[in-house]
Amino acid sequence: MSIDTECQHAYIVGMSDLLGTFEQAVLLAILRLGDGAYGRAVLHQVQESLTKSVAAGAVYTTLDRLEQRGLIDSRLAKGTAIRGGRARRYYVVAAIGNRALADAQKTLAKMWQGVKVPAAVKS
Amino acid sequence: MNFSGPPRWAEFLLERLLAARDRETVAGDLREEYVESIMPRIGRPRADVWYFRHCLSFARRCASEGGPMGRLLIFSSLVTLICSCWLALMELLLRHAGFASRTAVALLIAAICVATLLARMLHLGVRRERWFWPAAVALIWFGAASFLRNARSAHFEGFVFVISLVLVLQGLLMLVTMGRTNGRDRLTIGAGAPSGEAADSIRSDR
Repeated sequence: MSIDTECQHAYIVGMSDLLGTFEQAVLLAILRLGDGAYGRAVLHQVQESLTKSVAAGAVYTTLDRLEQRGLIDSRLAKGTAIRGGRARRYYVVAAIGNRALADAQKTLAKMWQGVKVPAAVKS
Repeated sequence: MNFSGPPRWAEFLLERLLAARDRETVAGDLREEYVESIMPRIGRPRADVWYFRHCLSFARRCASEGGPMGRLLIFSSLVTLICSCWLALMELLLRHAGFASRTAVALLIAAICVATLLARMLHLGVRRERWFWPAAVALIWFGAASFLRNARSAHFEGFVFVISLVLVLQGLLMLVTMGRTNGRDRLTIGAGAPSGEAADSIRSDR
């Protein structure tokens, strides 16, 4: 059995370095939001893309983890009156994060290649 | 003054659950969501519940900050807290000879557990180094003494055996984990927590 280059790359990177589904959702939300990607907007976008309610703690924990891994960068911006003057933290996907997303997409496409999921059996 | 934001106590709780780095930004995000979106849509009482639910979602992160040993310390503190409160209550109800001193010891252990939980889960700025060493040594000593006394006595009690081991474990975990600086807080020592003034100008953390 031969392992082609893309899968081999994913294998060498290691399973622990592959992005989880939630991490991908957060990174994609930041990409979609562009310049407006701050915590609250990311939370909204993730909820919209996953079509379910998501706890704020889960999103901010993931943002912290992604930042620690160097996949995203952040900057502080002036707060508004409605926030009680509290600062906003805006996020942007770093080059490494873009690469990780591209890797995840390729790996997923490779995994699904030639697979047909059987129709769900009604019980 | 018409205060239309989330309940003050909930905001206080949220800020204590957050590391210094996130205190301002995350609390601001949730306040913005509460005022602009949630409260107008579902009304104040349900919005308060919404806010509290999201506050609690940060508690899990706090609990896991110390890694497996930190989580074990929280678990053992909770077990010991429940047991010591139960023992104190029983002593007060039954009032056997010497109940006052035993109640005092049980309440002291409960207080150590509460302080440990507050210091670990809420960032209350407790100056840990002042109390955690003697408290940890006291727990180990009391746990070991109870274990030995129980082992030597004619009537071996399983309950005392388990509690004494948990006390020793809790004391050891306190010594190992409590002296460490929180990793996420350490990141902010150089940069400082975002203050209102600092946030006036856009800046990069990296």
